[in-house]
Amino acid sequence: MARDASRARRPQAQEEPAFPLAPTPGRGSPPSPPVHGVMAFVYTTDLSAVRALVHRHALRAGLSESRAIDLMLAVSEVAANTVRHAKSPGCLDIWYDAREIICQIRDRGIIADPLAGRRKPAMDALGGHGLWIVNQVCDEVEMRSDETGTTIRLHMTLPR
Amino acid sequence: MPSAVWYNKCVDLLTVSVRARESAGEPYTLVEITGEADVTNTDELHRLLDEEVSAQPRTMIIDMSGLRFMDSSALHALLRVNRSLDRQGGVLALVSPQAAVAKILRLTTADRLIPVFDSVAEAAAG
Repeated sequence: MARDASRARRPQAQEEPAFPLAPTPGRGSPPSPPVHGVMAFVYTTDLSAVRALVHRHALRAGLSESRAIDLMLAVSEVAANTVRHAKSPGCLDIWYDAREIICQIRDRGIIADPLAGRRKPAMDALGGHGLWIVNQVCDEVEMRSDETGTTIRLHMTLPR
Repeated sequence: MPSAVWYNKCVDLLTVSVRARESAGEPYTLVEITGEADVTNTDELHRLLDEEVSAQPRTMIIDMSGLRFMDSSALHALLRVNRSLDRQGGVLALVSPQAAVAKILRLTTADRLIPVFDSVAEAAAG
């Protein structure tokens, strides 16, 4: 999809319900991604392919190499949680417009702690860095988790 | 699905090579990690590094110049190795991390816990 700077926002943005910052258990399925999503990819343990895909699309969308690495790192950490906890395949959707690139990761895992990843682990902590890193490198992180699974959206603002 | 399937599938992404061993009379233990280190091969990475730690080297150097990616699971494996070495009076040093690896070391401030050098020679000199 070519970047079109004249189109300020995707038209679906108004119709789509606002994606809450904190997870709202019991509110049913998260909104599906806009129809003009660049691509969807289902993964199990092939995280290398997930990373290569994110890196490639991030550069194509216009992120710098350093920010593309940030996004790749973030998606890899979320996808690693799928491998570690969800025991189900995960689905990665990537789309972008003139303003930002979004990676959405869905799986059947459940994140019980609404503040997961918001606190910095101790320097030598042997766990808990994954979601914290995600929150550090992304411009915006949205997480929704209920008994049906977890959806995490990672936003990166594109340079003007 | 048994968990083993999930962790063993992508081990071939990562190669761990021991280039020098203190226990064989060399001045330090040098381990080279190449490829991509993530949750799918962390257990194997930790097991291989732990084997070298158990020989009680005073200086263990990990050459990361060929490591394209490292996630937080792999970082935890390094932190565990660092802790084990520290307990037995040894030192861990990292060499030449690429951009993505340097980024996670810096973000988590692990690079303040484990010294990072530009070359094996510098790491050996301490």
